[in-house]
Amino acid sequence: MTGFLVGKASEIPEGGKKIIEANGRSIGIYNIGGEFFAIRNTCPHQGAALCSGITTEFINSTGPGNFVHEREGEIVRCPWHQWEFEIKTGCMVVDPKKRTKSYEVTVERFDVSVEDKEVYVHI
Amino acid sequence: MEVTEGKQIKKQISKTKRTIIDSDIHNYTPLEEIKKYLPRVYRDQIDLWGWRLPGSLYLNGGTNVGQRADSIPPDGGFPGSNLDFMSSQYLDPFNVEYGILTGSDYSCQASPDVDYAAAISSAINEYTLEHWLGRDRRLKGSVFIPKQDPVLSAKEIHRVGSHSDMVQVIVASGADKPYGNRYYHPIYEACVEHNLPFTIHVLMEGVGMNPPTTGAGWVSYYPEYRATRPQVMAAHLASLIYEGVFEKFPTLKVVLQEAGVFWVAPYLWKLDEDWKALRFQTPWVKKPPSEYFRSNIKVSSQPLEPTPNQEMFRQMMNAVYADETLLYCSDYPHWDFDSPLKTFPKLDDALWERVFYQNAADLYGLPARKKQGGTE
Repeated sequence: MTGFLVGKASEIPEGGKKIIEANGRSIGIYNIGGEFFAIRNTCPHQGAALCSGITTEFINSTGPGNFVHEREGEIVRCPWHQWEFEIKTGCMVVDPKKRTKSYEVTVERFDVSVEDKEVYVHI
Repeated sequence: MEVTEGKQIKKQISKTKRTIIDSDIHNYTPLEEIKKYLPRVYRDQIDLWGWRLPGSLYLNGGTNVGQRADSIPPDGGFPGSNLDFMSSQYLDPFNVEYGILTGSDYSCQASPDVDYAAAISSAINEYTLEHWLGRDRRLKGSVFIPKQDPVLSAKEIHRVGSHSDMVQVIVASGADKPYGNRYYHPIYEACVEHNLPFTIHVLMEGVGMNPPTTGAGWVSYYPEYRATRPQVMAAHLASLIYEGVFEKFPTLKVVLQEAGVFWVAPYLWKLDEDWKALRFQTPWVKKPPSEYFRSNIKVSSQPLEPTPNQEMFRQMMNAVYADETLLYCSDYPHWDFDSPLKTFPKLDDALWERVFYQNAADLYGLPARKKQGGTE
């Protein structure tokens, strides 16, 4: 596994994302509640750039006409056919066998300055 | 000729080794008889102004508006009016263990006068109880309801739904709202309470208070109208699933009757694909639509679409989960009758048993055959 520099942690605030090229692959790095997650920027359905879809929540329900918002900021909705994927696992919510690759992300600090923390994705 | 027909029937008996359940037999419920069961106010109105019930916009097949030309009883009565003749022409020779009666007149379900529709529904139910059910242990009945007023409908289901010979609630496919709409929920509450399936039978599309035969408007000819029936039934199916009826009433069973069978397969594929894409708009739909289809819907077989070859037939049967969902229906005495012997190509034994007996037995709570192995 090789670590690729994503950028400074401050570039990706909570709820934000950054799409990078690493080793010829397009990867989206997301900040969910201060924790970083990375998924391949390819939808397993028809190959759309998955991470260009909206970052959103899982809408659940207790019955007709009722909407419950869950997992705020943890879902990416593919830009083409709106399939929903969990950013934390890369799995399609309603059919987890369908998934995009997820990658380990580390945040490394080389000195005492908080601003200098760097985010690495490991491929 | 008589001798030839006798031979033919004998041969058919020898091939029907096991008894069958037929989920669609049309007994005749003549208005002049129904009238006797109506309250005085409606009898007086009918005498003064007629029935004010809408009729079909289209031709039909056969004779006597849609009946088999050979189904007129010896007494000269209307096809489906004579139990003895129904027995000798159909129930006996085709080894029918149970037959579900589906009546002959759904026109009150297209009347905007809901109290009148309720009175006619009750009258049909009383007539059927008195003149058909109980006279032959093989026959079971359908509760007619004024579906355009769900509260009155629920009242009628509570009135007669617990009768042991009433095995389902029946409505016409023509409706002013698709059947998943929450407006209908009082009907489903009552169905669940009395453990009665809700059967949607093609008829009354484009008639009376019901909307046009298609969303594209009225079609002109009878074959065209028949071709539009799956559209209307498809709309009801999607509505039942997307309005969350089976989440709210998980034990409710719905029968799609006489709109054909194999169109359901690609329709389910489409429903599932769109659910994957748009799930978050109707998050109360918890499962792919095809799973609700398998758990809550049955489809009646007649008029079954022949396929170009047997391999395609086998695949289509699999694609509609026929072993779980398909109910054999003859539609006797209508002209487009599907013979129990000649409609299906050879089915493997287990599948034949599901389609011709067990799916209906499970749905309607009917017992196993009296004689295993039949009357060969």
